[in-house]
Amino acid sequence: MAGWFLDLCLSLAVGHQYSSLGTQPILCGSIPGLVPKQLRFCRNYVEIMPSVAEGVKIGIQECQHQFRGRRWNCTTVNDNLAIFGPVLDRGEKNFKVSKATRESAFVHAIASAGVAFAVTRACAEGSATICGCDTRHKGPPGEGWKWGGCSEDVEFGGMVSREFADARENRPDARSAMNRHNNEAGRTSLSDNMFLKCKCHGLSGSCEVKTCWWSQPDFRVIGDYMKDKYDSASEMVVEKHKESRGWVETLRPKYNYFKPPTERDLVYYEGSPNFCDPNPETGSFGTRDRVCNLTSHGIDGCDLLCCGRGHNTRTEKRKEKCHCIFHWCCYVSCQECVRVYDVHTCK
Amino acid sequence: MAGAIIENMSTKKLVIVGVALLLCQAFTFMVGGLIAPSPTTAVPYLATKCVDTIKHRQESKWFMPWGPNQCHKIRSFDEATAKMIEANNIVFAVHIPLPNKEMSSWFQFMLVILQFDIAFKMYNQIEDGAMVTIDVGLAYRDDTISEWTEMAHSFEQRKLSCNFTTAKTYENEGRYYECDLMPFMEVGSVSHKYYLLNMRLPVNERKKVNVGIGEIKDIRLVSIHQNGGFTQVWFAMKTFLTPSILIIMIWYWRRITLMSRPPVLLEKVILALGISMTFINIPVEWFSISFNWTWMLLFGDIRQGIFYSMLLSFWIIFCGEHLMETQFFEALVLGRGELKMCVSCVPAIQIFPERPTNKSQDQTERNRFSVYWKQVGPIVFGSFCLFIFDMCERGVQLTNPFYSIWASDVGTELAMAFIIVAGICACLYFLFLCFMVFQVFRNISGKRTSLPAMSKARRLHYEGLIFRFKFLMLVTLICAAMTVIFFIISQVNEGHWHWGEHTVQVNSAFFTGIYGMWNLYVFAIMFLYAPSHKRYGDEQSSGQCITGDAGANSGEDIQLTTTITHVDGPTEIYKMTGKEAQE
Repeated sequence: MAGWFLDLCLSLAVGHQYSSLGTQPILCGSIPGLVPKQLRFCRNYVEIMPSVAEGVKIGIQECQHQFRGRRWNCTTVNDNLAIFGPVLDRGEKNFKVSKATRESAFVHAIASAGVAFAVTRACAEGSATICGCDTRHKGPPGEGWKWGGCSEDVEFGGMVSREFADARENRPDARSAMNRHNNEAGRTSLSDNMFLKCKCHGLSGSCEVKTCWWSQPDFRVIGDYMKDKYDSASEMVVEKHKESRGWVETLRPKYNYFKPPTERDLVYYEGSPNFCDPNPETGSFGTRDRVCNLTSHGIDGCDLLCCGRGHNTRTEKRKEKCHCIFHWCCYVSCQECVRVYDVHTCK
Repeated sequence: MAGAIIENMSTKKLVIVGVALLLCQAFTFMVGGLIAPSPTTAVPYLATKCVDTIKHRQESKWFMPWGPNQCHKIRSFDEATAKMIEANNIVFAVHIPLPNKEMSSWFQFMLVILQFDIAFKMYNQIEDGAMVTIDVGLAYRDDTISEWTEMAHSFEQRKLSCNFTTAKTYENEGRYYECDLMPFMEVGSVSHKYYLLNMRLPVNERKKVNVGIGEIKDIRLVSIHQNGGFTQVWFAMKTFLTPSILIIMIWYWRRITLMSRPPVLLEKVILALGISMTFINIPVEWFSISFNWTWMLLFGDIRQGIFYSMLLSFWIIFCGEHLMETQFFEALVLGRGELKMCVSCVPAIQIFPERPTNKSQDQTERNRFSVYWKQVGPIVFGSFCLFIFDMCERGVQLTNPFYSIWASDVGTELAMAFIIVAGICACLYFLFLCFMVFQVFRNISGKRTSLPAMSKARRLHYEGLIFRFKFLMLVTLICAAMTVIFFIISQVNEGHWHWGEHTVQVNSAFFTGIYGMWNLYVFAIMFLYAPSHKRYGDEQSSGQCITGDAGANSGEDIQLTTTITHVDGPTEIYKMTGKEAQE
C-alpha cells in the first residue's frame, strides 16, 4: 500500500501548491501503481484525491513523530515525503518482498487512519462536494438534507479509506490479510477516538433541546493510540487452506495463551530486524550518523541507538531565536542568541 | 367549580375518555418517533484560511472558501509564515451550508458554535484570561451567482477557556489545548439559501488585541438548525391542536356562563390555562416560512414562558381552593362541634342557611387572586427574571446575531444572577406547592374518619372534593413524571433507537409526545372540570358512581356546592333543596 500511496503523494502533493490542487484537474492515469479498482475510484472521486494524499502525509508525519529517537524512525529517503524504505513497500519494484513486521503494520494502520481523517476534514471544509448524505439517501437531491439533515461525514471518510486503501489488498495471501486487518484497525481506532460534543439551546438556553455531534480528535491522539497498539501488536502465524479458488492463506494467533487480537489490534507475522545496520532487504537504514541523546538511558540514548558502536561528539554553535513575541499566526519577532551545543551522532 | 363533570360521569364514560386520551397520547409519541426526523442537525465546519492579498482591501470583499471565485487559500500557517503573510491578512471563511446543499426557511433557526484548535508551544502559550477578538461579517445570497449582501458585521470578544491536560514540556509541543465551545452566532430565521461567514483575528500589539492567544491551527464552527421534517411535523401538530383546544375552551366557558352564578377563581384560572395553551398552539410559525421574522425564536420563548407560569399558578390555585374548602369544613365542624351533632344525624344542610356571614367571608376570600400572591409571586418573579435574561440574550441578537451575554464577565455574572434568582423562585414555589399538597392531604385524611358520620349531602360534597383533588394530583404527577423521564431519556440517549428495520427518533418523540401530553392535560382539565349540568333527573348514574372512595354524584351535591360557591343569589334549585332538606 505504502508504495503507491507515496507515489500518489509525490504526484499530487509534492511540488504542487495546495491552492492549485482544487483547480488543477488530477489525472488519475498519471499516478503510477494504481490497480484498476483504485483507478476507477480515483476517477469517480477525483476531488477528494488531494485529501487522500494529504491523509497519507499526515499519517507519515505522525509516524515520524511517534518513532522519533528510535532505531527505526519511520525514515523516508528524501526529506519528508518520499519513498519509504522497503520495510513498508510491497515490493513492486526491484525490492524483495518487504517483511510483514510490526513497523509495516503500524504504517498501514496510521496511513489508513490518516486518509479517513483528512477526508473527513476536507468534507467539513467543503472542498469536496460528494461528502454527506445526499449520495446515500434516496429521493430528489437536497430533499434528504432538508427533511432530516445529513448523516456524519465521518462514515464517509472511513468509506473512502476502505474503498481506496483496501482495493489492492484482495489477494488470498497472508500479507493481504494482514494489511486489510491493519488498515481496518487504523480506521477503527479513529472512529473509537471520536468524541461527542453537545450544545444546549432550549428555552433560555436550557438543556430542554440538546444537539450533539461527533468531533475528530487531534491526530496526535490517534498516533498515541496506535503507538500503544504497536507495542501490544499480536504476532500471528500463517495457515494455508485449500479452498475452491485455490490456496488461501489466513492468520492465526501464534500464542494461544494471549488474548486473540481484536479488530483494533495490529497484527504481524514476521519479526523485525534490529535496524542497526543498513540493509536494503529488510528496509533498514541503520543508525549511522543519527543524533543520539547522551543522558538518556532509553532507546534514544547513545548506547542503545548506536547499537553499542559508540558515538562521535562535536560542538556546534547555533544561532537561535530568543525573547520572541509571537502572534497567533505567522509572525514572530525575535532576537538572535548564539548557543553552543554538543551534538552526539552514532558511529 | 363544584359539581364538575368528572364527578358526575359514570365509570364507563370516564374510562372511555381516559382510553381516548391515552390513544391520542400514544399517537403523538408515534408521530414524533416514526414520522419526524431528529429535531435538530449539527453540521461541523472547518474554516478555510484565505489570504487577503489586496493591500488596500475594499469593504465589500467577501471570501468564498470553495466553488467559483474562491479565495486564495493556504493549507497551514507554516505556509503563511514562509510566504510572509501576516495574521491581519488571513481571513477564515465558512460557507453555510456545505456544497450542493441549501438552507431553507423550514430550518427555523440557526446557531453557530465556535471552537479553536490551538497547539501548545512552550514559548507561545495561551495566557491566563486571554480574550480573542474576532472581526466577523455575515453575508447571504439566494442564488449561486449573485453578489453577497452583508447581513451583520461586528467585533466580538470571546474568552478563551482552554486547558492543556498533559504536561507542558517540549515533548508535548504540537498537541492541542482542550478549549470550551463558544457560542458564536444565533439567527432566529433562516430565510436565505446561502450564508457566508468571514472572520479575521486582527493583531494589535499596542492595544493588546489578540496577543497571547497561542498558536491557532484551525477554527472550527458547528452550525445547528432544526430539521425541516421536524418543523413540518411540528407545524402539523400545532395546526391540529389549536382548534381542538380552542373548541373545548369555548365549550367550557359557555358552560360556565350558562350557570347563574359568576365564575369562581379556579374556573377563571382554568380558562387562562386554556388561553395560554392556545397561545402556544397557534401556528404563527407558518408565517416564518415566507417572512423573515427573526423574532420568532424570542416569541416562542415568551409563549412557552407564559404557559409554564400559567401551569404552575394553576397548580397552586387548585391546591389552594381545595385546601380552603377542606379547611372551611374543618372550621365548621370543629367550631360547632358538629361531629357530635352528626352522630345524632342532624342534617347538615340545616346549618347552612344559619351562617351566611361565614360563607360570604370565605367566598370573597377564595375568589380573590391576591390571596395567592405569596405563592404566585415567585412564579411571576422567576419568569420575569428569565424573561429579562432572554431579552438580554435573544433580544439583543435581533440586532447583532453575534452577541452573547456569556461573552463578557459582567454579562456572565448578570446572566448567572438571573438564572440563580429564577432557580430560587422555582425552589420556593415547589416548597409552597408541596406544603399545600401536604396540607390538603392532611385535611383529607382527617376528614376521612368523619365522613361516615356526615349527612349524605355533605358526605357527597366532600367525597366529590376529595376525588377531584386526587384525580388531578394523580394525572399531574403522571404527566410531570413522564416529562422528567422522557427528558432524562432524551439526555442520555444517543437520539434514536433501532427497532428491527425501523428507526425510532427518541428525541423527536420526546418533543411531540410531551407537547401533546400537556395539550391533552389542558384539554382533559377543561373537559372534566367543567361544571356539570346534571340535575335531579340524572340520578341513574349515581348508583354506579366512580371509584372507591370517590364522591358519588347527586343532585344534593351540586346544590350544596353551589351554595358554597355562590351565596348572594341562591338559585331556584338551591331554594328547592333548602326546602327539601328542611322538610
